[in-house]
Amino acid sequence: MAFAWKAAGITYNRYLAVTARVVRRSLKDDKRLQAERRGEMDLRFAKWEGGKQGENKSLADANLADMAAHAGQSQ
Amino acid sequence: MNSLKVARMALRAAARPQPALRRGYADVAPDKLRLSLALPHQTIYKSQDVVQVNIAAESGEMGILAQHVPSIEQLKPGLVEVIEEAGGNKQFFLSGGFATVQPGSVLSINAVEGYPLEDFSAENVRNQISEAQKIAGGSGSEQDKAEANIELEVLESLQAALK
Repeated sequence: MAFAWKAAGITYNRYLAVTARVVRRSLKDDKRLQAERRGEMDLRFAKWEGGKQGENKSLADANLADMAAHAGQSQ
Repeated sequence: MNSLKVARMALRAAARPQPALRRGYADVAPDKLRLSLALPHQTIYKSQDVVQVNIAAESGEMGILAQHVPSIEQLKPGLVEVIEEAGGNKQFFLSGGFATVQPGSVLSINAVEGYPLEDFSAENVRNQISEAQKIAGGSGSEQDKAEANIELEVLESLQAALK
């Protein structure tokens, strides 16, 4: 099954995150404030090579960069 | 003489032990579905017996009853309706996930976000639609446009459900 978002290079994980974000923003204001907190993610990682820690990168930024690079490659 | 034989056979049949019914965990009643509907942060249904569940799968709208064939269905962002034993109908809008029917009438639905319809605000939906349309038709990156299109799909489904 070819999905439009897959053809545009968006991963399923990112697709789920986008749909969840939309649903959270569509809530009535009292529930929305609680729910929006769930969408916040600030994860950093660093690659280790040869015992040396590499540069500390934000996962969100790294994912976006990867997706933009791979856009259009998957069918 | 014949009647004695018949009586003896009947007695033997009655005395023969029935094969023990193997029971492990409580089996699901033959006409019920055991539903577990879970979000990462909340469990909406935990192994509860229900009558029917209607889901919006990518392969089409499906109604799942007891004794359904085992299957795995990717869900579209959309409405899931649960018809409970006591006759109540509950509807939830799920943002997407998977529904797994396991052998023995066990249904597990996993979604990222899900709320009953009354928790949504039609106005917020409308505002988001106009914003997403602007981005989708605009001059941003392909990523942004693709994401805006995803948002539009979800919002249209939500708007239709809220009517």
